[in-house]
Amino acid sequence: MKRLAFSALGLLALASLLLAQATTPATLRLPSGDRPVSSTQQSGATYFAADEIMAALGGSMAADSNGFKVTLHNTVAAFGPDSRFAVVRDDLIEMPVAPIVVDGRAYAPWQFYQGFLARASQLDVAWDPAARVLQVKPATQNVAGVQLSVANVQGISKVVITLSAPMEYSIAKEPGAFTIRFRGAIRAPYVEQAHEDDPNVTKTSFVGSDLRIDLSGPDVVGDAYRLENPFRVVVDLRKGQASAPGVPPQAIPSRPVDLPGIRTIVIDPGHGGKEVGAIGPGGLMEKDATLNLCRRLAAALESKLKTRVILTRSDDSVVALDQRTSIANQYKADLFLSVHMNAAIVKGAHGAETYFLSLEASDELAKKAAELENAAAGGAPQNPATDLKLILWDLAQQDYLNESSKLAQDIQEEMNRITGVQSRGVKQAPFRVLVGATMPAALVEVAFITNPEEEARINSDAFQKTVVDALTTAVERYKLDYETRIGVVHPPAPPATTTAAPVKKAGT
Amino acid sequence: MRRAAVVFLALLALAGACSKKPPLTPNLAKENKVAVRSVTLFFETPDMLLGPEQRNLELPENPAGALSVVMRELLKGSANASVPRIFPADSVVRATFLLPDGTAFVDLGGPTLTGGWGTGSHEELMAVYSIVSTVTTNFPEVKRVRILVNGEPAETLAGHISLRQALRPMPGLIR
Repeated sequence: MKRLAFSALGLLALASLLLAQATTPATLRLPSGDRPVSSTQQSGATYFAADEIMAALGGSMAADSNGFKVTLHNTVAAFGPDSRFAVVRDDLIEMPVAPIVVDGRAYAPWQFYQGFLARASQLDVAWDPAARVLQVKPATQNVAGVQLSVANVQGISKVVITLSAPMEYSIAKEPGAFTIRFRGAIRAPYVEQAHEDDPNVTKTSFVGSDLRIDLSGPDVVGDAYRLENPFRVVVDLRKGQASAPGVPPQAIPSRPVDLPGIRTIVIDPGHGGKEVGAIGPGGLMEKDATLNLCRRLAAALESKLKTRVILTRSDDSVVALDQRTSIANQYKADLFLSVHMNAAIVKGAHGAETYFLSLEASDELAKKAAELENAAAGGAPQNPATDLKLILWDLAQQDYLNESSKLAQDIQEEMNRITGVQSRGVKQAPFRVLVGATMPAALVEVAFITNPEEEARINSDAFQKTVVDALTTAVERYKLDYETRIGVVHPPAPPATTTAAPVKKAGT
Repeated sequence: MRRAAVVFLALLALAGACSKKPPLTPNLAKENKVAVRSVTLFFETPDMLLGPEQRNLELPENPAGALSVVMRELLKGSANASVPRIFPADSVVRATFLLPDGTAFVDLGGPTLTGGWGTGSHEELMAVYSIVSTVTTNFPEVKRVRILVNGEPAETLAGHISLRQALRPMPGLIR
């Protein structure tokens, strides 16, 4: 009986320990020496006591009604037990799991400390689960962070590798795989990842500074190029004829005419697939209305302006917002126009609106590029090369914004002419689909789909034709104006009756 | 006697195992001076801009706590029943953060915002900047607002306005 009771007691004590999420010591290895730090495990993840780590590093920690705040060298990070993201400055630290609270104390996964200490004091953090050592050491210089994305657009799989610093690389091609060899140390985002849904890429894996892209078959061919700000290596892969060894794969068609002026236009039908956009009271979906209109617009522009026109989607598919701009950048488009239908809760809202990107969003992009550059330069606050790039980037962005403003103005004038509405005008806002476009770019809201009268007009063949004519005229006006300004097209000779410049009178 | 002690110890262990963790969120009313204060909320006007509406709210003195209360009040909509609600009715404020550098984080959630809100640019612009205007008007120390969805960075609320950066107020949208 006594043995039974003690067994029950032992089991209960064990249960108590488990349920109370027992903490176990690990070693915190700092440049100044080792010290123990409390850690706990939950669902396979290991968490470390934030207050102990902050104290060891000379920082501080506080709790308030919103969660926890840690401070080190005037850098503050806030986090709570509900979110995998901690906020630091105006940035976010992503963690694989949300922090937890044990006995009122915050425990965070090692990735939180990695993200925070990199920003607060140029320290690098690594967790060795076998030795149970959490190592904090000065960040290694010239280790570039890497992010990788794979997306399929119109049959082309785009593997985009974003590096925190520019780096030389070489590409080795073999049947069934591409290997990108970076000439410096990289911090890989993962070891191996399968891409089951992609028709051309089956797996991406990192070994040292090599990225291997496994292809779905020997018939997949590709081409690679680099983009700046931020530094990216882009590999476009598609089904094609397998290249003989040593023969370069067929390149993606490039600009037909490499002359200045408006030669390539990318038209972006808003939304698509499960992203239906706004829905009219009669059931018309924005994604369908924009696709119908853009198909007609593309045909009209090609026919009337003799330009190459590319649609970001030609069917009812989902295309990510940044992918739409990437398509325009990839094809070196000279103009980008996104077409949408508007929505409002105010009854009777009507008319067209044209937007171009606000400077704020453009500024943020430049700032992000500068931060990446600064991070690559070891956090040096003054980096002349970065400053110069930033100035050039700013100038280019300002130039695009000036041109985008002119394009938007031409579009709005033509749309006002056909709708007879003068009250709605050109506006600036941080539209996601316009961020990152390296060409004049605008977004037109053709009409309010939420207004039953406008919904019926959007659905009518006559109104669609009128809108297509108006937008074609607007693009033609902008094209002529732009090409005249850069000297590709000469303005018509002034009429003979033009008044001569006034002759300066003597004595005045 | 010994058996009683063992049972007592076992009960104690069980109680320890089942005891509730100390609450993460302290009682705001106790920890902060709560007082009725006037706040300005921004809702859409008939001329399709954002207009102010005054409301008296019980707010904690601590701005971080007050921010959550003000944001939840904004999502309730206007006191005037004829002013339509901008946000989907099932939208919620999950959390707010206030950072010393003047950035406020507002974490939104709810089935519609999570599943994909089907609306146009104008309505999305109104929704996003009703938050930005309300936060920056009532909390002068806040210079910009970053909006999250379900605790994570989001591209947009409905496919148009970028939430990838913290947003400053846009005076042109205010009546």
